[in-house]
Amino acid sequence: MAATVDLLEKEGVVTAENNQKRLSGGQALMECLLAEGVDTIFGYPGGAIMPVYDALYDYMDRINHILVRHEQGASHAAEGYARSSGRVGVCMATSGPGATNLVTGIADAIIDCTPMVAITGQVASNLLGTDAFQETDVIGITAPVCKWNYQVTSPDEIPEIMAKAFFIARAGKPGPVLIDITKDAQVASMSKGFSYKKIDRLPGYHPRVVPKLDQVEKAAEMINAAKRPYILVGHGVLISEAMEEFRAFVEKADIPVASTLLGLSALSIEHPNYMGWLGMHGMYAPNVMTDQCDVLIAIGMRFDDRVTGNAELFAKQAKIVHIEVDPAEIDKIKKADAPVVGDAKEALKLLLPLIQEKSHADWKQSFRDLEPEERATVNARDFAKEGKIKMAEVVRMVSDKTNGEACVVVDVGQHQMVGARYYDFKRPHSYIASGGLGTMGFAIPAAFGAKMGAPDREVIAFIGDGCFQMTIQELGTIAQSGKAVKMIILNNSYLGMVRQWQQLFFDRRYSFVDLQNPDFITIAKGFGIPGHTCENRESLSESIDKLLASEGSYLLEVIVEKEDNVFPMIPAGTSVSEIRLK
Amino acid sequence: MKQYTICVFTENSIGLLNKITIIFTRRRLNIESLTVSETERKGVSRFTIVIKHEQREAVEKLVRQIRKVVEVLAVFGYLNEDVVYNEIALFKIPTPLDSRPLDMEIINREHKAYIVFWGLDYVVLQKTGTEEEIFDFFRYIKPYGILEFVRSGRVAVAKTPKGLVEYLPEELEEWEYYL
Ligand SMILES: Cc1ncc(C[n+]2csc(CCOP(=O)(O)OP(=O)(O)O)c2C)c(N)n1
Repeated sequence: MAATVDLLEKEGVVTAENNQKRLSGGQALMECLLAEGVDTIFGYPGGAIMPVYDALYDYMDRINHILVRHEQGASHAAEGYARSSGRVGVCMATSGPGATNLVTGIADAIIDCTPMVAITGQVASNLLGTDAFQETDVIGITAPVCKWNYQVTSPDEIPEIMAKAFFIARAGKPGPVLIDITKDAQVASMSKGFSYKKIDRLPGYHPRVVPKLDQVEKAAEMINAAKRPYILVGHGVLISEAMEEFRAFVEKADIPVASTLLGLSALSIEHPNYMGWLGMHGMYAPNVMTDQCDVLIAIGMRFDDRVTGNAELFAKQAKIVHIEVDPAEIDKIKKADAPVVGDAKEALKLLLPLIQEKSHADWKQSFRDLEPEERATVNARDFAKEGKIKMAEVVRMVSDKTNGEACVVVDVGQHQMVGARYYDFKRPHSYIASGGLGTMGFAIPAAFGAKMGAPDREVIAFIGDGCFQMTIQELGTIAQSGKAVKMIILNNSYLGMVRQWQQLFFDRRYSFVDLQNPDFITIAKGFGIPGHTCENRESLSESIDKLLASEGSYLLEVIVEKEDNVFPMIPAGTSVSEIRLK
Repeated sequence: MKQYTICVFTENSIGLLNKITIIFTRRRLNIESLTVSETERKGVSRFTIVIKHEQREAVEKLVRQIRKVVEVLAVFGYLNEDVVYNEIALFKIPTPLDSRPLDMEIINREHKAYIVFWGLDYVVLQKTGTEEEIFDFFRYIKPYGILEFVRSGRVAVAKTPKGLVEYLPEELEEWEYYL
């Protein structure tokens, strides 16, 4: 304890002065955030959080607060920040409507394992349960979508609870934590001097980070014995920053790799063992080969139904090695023959020396053999260069012009899948999407958050015209920040993905998917963000150059083919080998 | 359908009952009975939850999900044969002057039930036992007329230290208490 405080004192976080002074709850909260190294908060003020905002006024030079335009924007921005930086994203809102507006982002974060601390104000503790103005049971509302939540009613609790919050948000399988602080706890003074101790363990909660050796040995044995091993890499590898260890493992054992949607960019697309991504709209070979391998090595992924299709049929011929930090995921969907519970990085470190050096040239080639068929149907159609511009052309051109180096943020729909398919990810943490929840409206705030988390990277968002209108007000946040977020609307004037399903599975009954859109460029201009519309193929290249050359934020709207479909596609509930190319 | 007893050890904090029960609600599992109390260790609560399920596997998964709740210290799932368990029931029986007298011989000896309160024209009988024993007694006493009947949730202790699925914290010395 003493040592931690010493260290924090050296860093100027817990000053001797703070240790003497009786800080208010609001001030204590600021000190906690500094102690956790928080430099950015996304938030929105209101009555029940005003004492915290008042305290924030004195910390403006050390904590950058971003005023969003809607609290949903704050929680998605915190997600984007966390996903691009690997740090905990922090968002803040007032009680009642402020808190409920955060919920979508919190639910998104839990399912995509994004570390987040959400702070909400609450009515004074003597009013709790009285239906006071702007009182909602945010603890009750968020309990099912939080990794942990807690209501603070005394300033003295704040340091310990915040330390717990940050530890839980980060530890094991990361996720969102919500801390609800009553107004009186923000105002009142602590009964003792402020001190802060970071937490690295809790009595009941210590996720197993380093896996058990016997589990790793069993996995290694299975992998070494495999004739046709196949790796599915998930988000977990990115979360645990295990990219180097992962690459070393892949190369030593020479195993073909496919990624899940959120595992995209864990291995560079240029790597000879990388075969593409799999799932409902994933690529042909990675899906088909799932039914051919003899050992399936799943790392940091959870067999989501968008990956497996019919889970019972999924890779039923294969033995499964499952490396996963959350024991509840083991056997949840697919029975693991060799489960390894632990952090991906630690697991791979232990696994690497036990793995035999191999060559699987023929087996890898069998993936490559399937590619021409896909190119001849799907790619040929996507790049047919007739009619209106296709989403694919836009994404591919952006990929080429940015050399696959940008951080790509996508919203939800057809453009999300096309973005995954045609951007050539060369650097890690480069595909930021709402995977598990599929939250429309994610991209504008998340792209902004991603830029805040990785200011040196080019951040490019691909957004559908429907999605764009769900959080369009965050253009104001972006404009005010002065940060350069490059946005591309792929405008088909439809809720495209829903329309595709209606076309394929509901007999073309296009029920409420037709959008009469506003003039997006004028709206962006109204917010102070320049932009233009591209309607024809001839000017696409120039349009993208203009977007990329812009110093600040920019909005490019591309009018794309109205009734374009995303293929390949595995119809929901069927086997991955029933994948359709058209 | 088999009966399972799930014992959950938790920190004793506000809102935890909700966090535990929503795990059952989400999976559309009906809770047959639920008992919560503080254990002999201060700050540690014990939930005893009874459910019925067709698949043992699903119960194992449920236990793992409960284990994910941060305040949960340990979770064990048991089959009935793995635990010693009981419930307690109270029966309020009318005893007006002209009624058939209660047969205390049978009540005490056969059913191991006792009178715990004498009212003016009623008595309260207490019966502890398994669900079946309590309902056996219920059937026996019913003809006397039951004014009020209440049954507690199950309490249970394991016959063996190992449960169906167990997750003990890694540092055992802190938790020897559970063994
Ligand atoms: C908040 C929310 N509401 C509804 C949906 C269902 N949904 C999924 S994709 C989609 C259409 C998206 O349309 P658009 O933004 O135009 O993108 P496109 O598919 O055309 O690329 C809808 C409505 C969702 N995922 N999220």
